[in-house]
Amino acid sequence: MIYAILVLWIFLAAIIIPERRGIRIIIYFAIFSLVTALSFFLLGSPDVAMAEAAISTFSTIFFVICFEKHFRLKADGEGDPEKKEVSKAAAAKKYVLPLLLIVPLFALFIFFRPGPEVSTYLKDLYITRFAQDVGGVNAVTSIYLAYRVYDTLFEALVLVIAIVAVSHMSAFKEMTVPDGEHSDIERDGLAVFTIRIIAPILLLFGVYLVMNGHISPGGGFQGGVAVAAFFICRYMIYNIYDMPVKKIIRLEEVLFMTAVAIAVFGVFLGAGTFVPLEYLRLYQESYLILMNILIGLKVACACIVLFYRFVAIERR
Amino acid sequence: MLTYFILIPIIIAVFLYMLACGKKGRAIAIIFQTGFVGAVYYVFTLTRQEEILTNIGGYDSILGIYLREDTMAAAFVLLTAIFFLIASIYSFREKDGRLFWFLIFIWQGASVGIFLTRDLFNAFVLIEVVTVVVAILIMFNRKNRSIYDGMFYLMLNVLVIKFYLLGLGYLYRMTGTMDIVIATEALVGMERSELVLPYALMMTAIALKCALLPMFSWLPKAHGSPAAPSAVSAILSGLHIKCTIYLFLRMQEMFSTLISAYEFFLVIGVLTGIVGFVLAMAQSDIKLILAYHTISQVGLIFAGLSMGSYYSHIGGMYHIVNHALFKGALFLSAGSIIKAYGTRDVYQIRGLLRRYPGLGIATLMAILGITGAPLFNGSISKYFMATDASAQMNVILIFMSLGTIISFVKYGSMLFGKSDAEPEAGVKVPAEQQIAVFALGFMCFFTGVFGVQSVQFLFNTSVTIDRLGYLEKAGIFFASAIAGFFIYKYYIKTSKLLKRLRSFEMGFRSACVCIGVFFAALLLTVGLVQYYY
Amino acid sequence: MNTGILNTDLIELICILVFFLGFYGLIATTNVIKSIVFLWVMEMAVIMFFLSIGYNIGIVAPIGTDLVPGQVADPLPQALMITTIVIGLAVTAVNITMLITLVRKHKSANWDILRKKSSES
Repeated sequence: MIYAILVLWIFLAAIIIPERRGIRIIIYFAIFSLVTALSFFLLGSPDVAMAEAAISTFSTIFFVICFEKHFRLKADGEGDPEKKEVSKAAAAKKYVLPLLLIVPLFALFIFFRPGPEVSTYLKDLYITRFAQDVGGVNAVTSIYLAYRVYDTLFEALVLVIAIVAVSHMSAFKEMTVPDGEHSDIERDGLAVFTIRIIAPILLLFGVYLVMNGHISPGGGFQGGVAVAAFFICRYMIYNIYDMPVKKIIRLEEVLFMTAVAIAVFGVFLGAGTFVPLEYLRLYQESYLILMNILIGLKVACACIVLFYRFVAIERR
Repeated sequence: MLTYFILIPIIIAVFLYMLACGKKGRAIAIIFQTGFVGAVYYVFTLTRQEEILTNIGGYDSILGIYLREDTMAAAFVLLTAIFFLIASIYSFREKDGRLFWFLIFIWQGASVGIFLTRDLFNAFVLIEVVTVVVAILIMFNRKNRSIYDGMFYLMLNVLVIKFYLLGLGYLYRMTGTMDIVIATEALVGMERSELVLPYALMMTAIALKCALLPMFSWLPKAHGSPAAPSAVSAILSGLHIKCTIYLFLRMQEMFSTLISAYEFFLVIGVLTGIVGFVLAMAQSDIKLILAYHTISQVGLIFAGLSMGSYYSHIGGMYHIVNHALFKGALFLSAGSIIKAYGTRDVYQIRGLLRRYPGLGIATLMAILGITGAPLFNGSISKYFMATDASAQMNVILIFMSLGTIISFVKYGSMLFGKSDAEPEAGVKVPAEQQIAVFALGFMCFFTGVFGVQSVQFLFNTSVTIDRLGYLEKAGIFFASAIAGFFIYKYYIKTSKLLKRLRSFEMGFRSACVCIGVFFAALLLTVGLVQYYY
Repeated sequence: MNTGILNTDLIELICILVFFLGFYGLIATTNVIKSIVFLWVMEMAVIMFFLSIGYNIGIVAPIGTDLVPGQVADPLPQALMITTIVIGLAVTAVNITMLITLVRKHKSANWDILRKKSSES
C-alpha cells in the first residue's frame, strides 16, 4: 500500500519540475501534499499527517492568491512568468546540465549511506515513561507539550515573528483595506452554499481536535488551523473584510506570553513535584489541555492574520 | 537557571512590541541590556569553577532538553551580551523603533540559546528563528534591492538547513539521541564509514552559514545591505557568524573520535581567506569592503581552528573575539560615516580624522587591530596562530595578513586628505554613537595590550608570549605594511582585473550549485580518507 | 526483523530520491514560486525520512495506554516534525510576502530578471 503511494509521491515531485503553467504547479503541489499526508498516516504518525494536511491547505491558499492576483501580469494569461525556451538546445542545456551535478551527488549519497541499524534508545524510554511523567495518552502530544515544550515555544515564536514581518511589509502597509468593505470578487453560488454547510463542521472539528489533543491524534496546532479555516470560510461567504487584524495580532502576542508563562510554571520549574500525589493526574491533564487551548488559539489567530493580510491584496 | 537567559529577552521583546512604547522602550532596552551583561558576567564567573547544567523540566535521563554553559559557551555568551549592549547604545535613536527592538531582543535571546543548548534539534529551531529575524532586518528600511537580498538570504539558508536536518535524522537513527554529549558517547563504538554521510550533510549546512569558499555569495548581500541599520550589520558580522562557528566547533568535537576533516577545513579556510580579501580589494562601497573582509577573516579563523595545535586553536578562538570587536567598531563607524558624508564610496570620503576625531580614532584603532599591528588585539591572535605552525603555513599567514593590509590601506585613506564630498557643518554624529564606536575601538587596544590576560580570562587556559617572537612578528608587520602601501599605490589602484571583479555576483541557482559542489567535495574527501587508513 | 529493515531501507531511498529531485528543481528552474515549492518538497522528503525511522509493517501510532515499544512508531520524530512543519509555514509566509513585494515592483518572478532589475534600481 505505502509503496504504491510513494511511487505516486515521486511522480508528483518530478512532474512539477518541467511544468510552466503557474496554476498547475499549485495543483500538483496540493496533490503532492495530500499524498504526503496520507503516507505520513500510513507510517503511523496521524499527528504529523494532520499538521501536514492543515499546513499544505494553507500554503496552497497563499500560492493561489499569489498567482491569481500578481502573476497575471503577463500578456499570455499564463501565470508563470518563466520564459518560453528559445530553442531545444537551450532547454536541453537548462535541464541536462544540472543533472551532471545531481546524479553523481545522488550516487555518492547512496554509496556513503550508513547501515540500516536503528537505535531505539530514546524511543523505548519515551514509550515506557510518558504516561507516568506527563500523564497524557498521546505520546506525541506529551513530548510536544511537556518534554520538549522548550522547542514548541520557539516554534510559536517563529509564527509571531512571521506575522509581525508580514504586517510590516511595505506592500501590505500601503494597501490596507478599510474595515467592513466588501470584496469585489463574485463567487459561485454553489461554492458558497457548500462552504456554508462545511463551515460549522470545521469549527466543531477544530475545537474537538484542540480539546482532545492529549488523548487522540491532533492537538493545539492542528485544531488551531481548523478553527482558522472557519474564519476563512466566513470571509468566503460574506465577502467582507471586517477582521480586526491589529487586535488579533495583539491577542496573539498575549496568548504567546501566556503560553510561555504556563510552560515556565508547568514544566520549567518542575511544578509537578510540588503537587500532592492524588492531584498529580488532574494537574497533568489540565496542563496539557490548557497548553493545547493556548496554542490552538494562538495558531488560529496567526493563520487568520496571515490569511487576511494576503487577501487584503486580493482585490487590487 | 540558564533558561531565563533565553526566555527573558524574548519576553521583553514581545512586551515592548505589544505596549508600543517608543521613547520609553529604548530606555527600557538599555537598562535591560546593562542588567543582562551583569547577570551574564555573574554566570561567567560561576563557570570558571565548573560547568553549569540545566535540565529543562527536570525529567529523568535525557528525556528533556539540557542547557549547559561551559568555559567556551560562557565566553561566547559574555561576548553576545556586551556586543548587544553596545549595539543598543549605538542605535538608541533608531527610527521605526518598535519593530527594531522587537527583532533585536529576539535575536539576542535566540543567539544566547544557540550557545547554551546541548540539543541539536533545538539548535535547528533557534537557527531558523535567527534566520527569519535576520532576513527581516536585512530589508528593514526596504530600500531598492534589499528585498531581493533578504529573499536570497532567506531561501538559501532555509535550503541548507534541510541538509542539516537530514544529517540530524541519520544521526538520530544511529545513536537514538539528539543530545550532543550523549551522542558523542554513543558514536564511540561506531564504524567510521557510517558517519561520513551525516557528517558531510551537517557540515555543509554549517559551512554555508559560515560563508566558506564556494558558498559565500549571500554574505556581502546580507552584511553589506544598505537597508539594514548599521547596528544590524555590525551584529551580523561581529556576532551572528560566530554562532555557526561555535556550532562548527561543537560538531567537530562530537565527531572528533572518528572523523576529523581538519585538513579539508584548513585548505578551505585559507582559500576563503584569500578570495575574501581579493574581492574586498575590488570593492569601493565601504560597507561591502567590510563585508568581504568578514569572509576573509572567517577563513583565517577556520585556518587557525583547523591547524590542530593547542596554540593555533587558542589563536583561532581569540581571533573570533577580536574579529567581533574590530569588525563591530568598523561597521558601526561606517554607519555613522555614511550618514555624515552622505556617500558610501570609499574614494569620496576623506579627512575623517580632522572632521570627526572620535570616529576617526576608533576607526584607526580597529584598522590597526584587524591588520595585526603590534600592541593591538589582532597581533596577539595572529601570533598564537603562527606559534606552532609549519614554515609553509607561516608564509601563508603572512600572505593573508599582507592582503588584509593592502585592502585596509584603501580603507584607511578615508582618514586623511580632503575631498569634494565633505559634509556641511550641520551634520553631527550623535554622542551615543561616538561612545559606542569608541568603546569597541578602545577594546581592540585593551585586549591587545593585555592579550595574555584576556585569553586567560576568557578561555580559562594559560598561555605565554615569547617577546622575541612577538618582536619578530612586529617587524614582519611593518615590512608588510610598507610593502602593502606600495602595492596598493602602484598596482591595485590601476588594476583592471579588480574592476571587473567588482561586479562579481552569484545568482540563486549558481549558489545552489555551489552547495552541491561543496557537499560532494566534503563527502569525497572525508569518505575517501577511510581507504587510506 | 529482517523484512522490516528492508522496508525502511526502501522508504529511505525514496526519500533521498525526492530530496534530490527537489534540489534538482531548485537548480534547473528559474521561477521563485517554483523554488519555494521545491523547498517544501525537500522538507517533505526530510520529514518522511524522519518518520520512517524504525518503520515496520503493521506499526501503529503511539497513542494509548500500555504501549509495547516494538509495535508503535517512534513518537519523538513525530513531535519534532510538527515543529518543523510549523516553522516551514512561517518561513513560507515570509518568503511569499517578500516575493509579492518584489513582483509588484519588478513585474517578474524570475530569479535572473529580479537580480538584474534589483541591481539597476
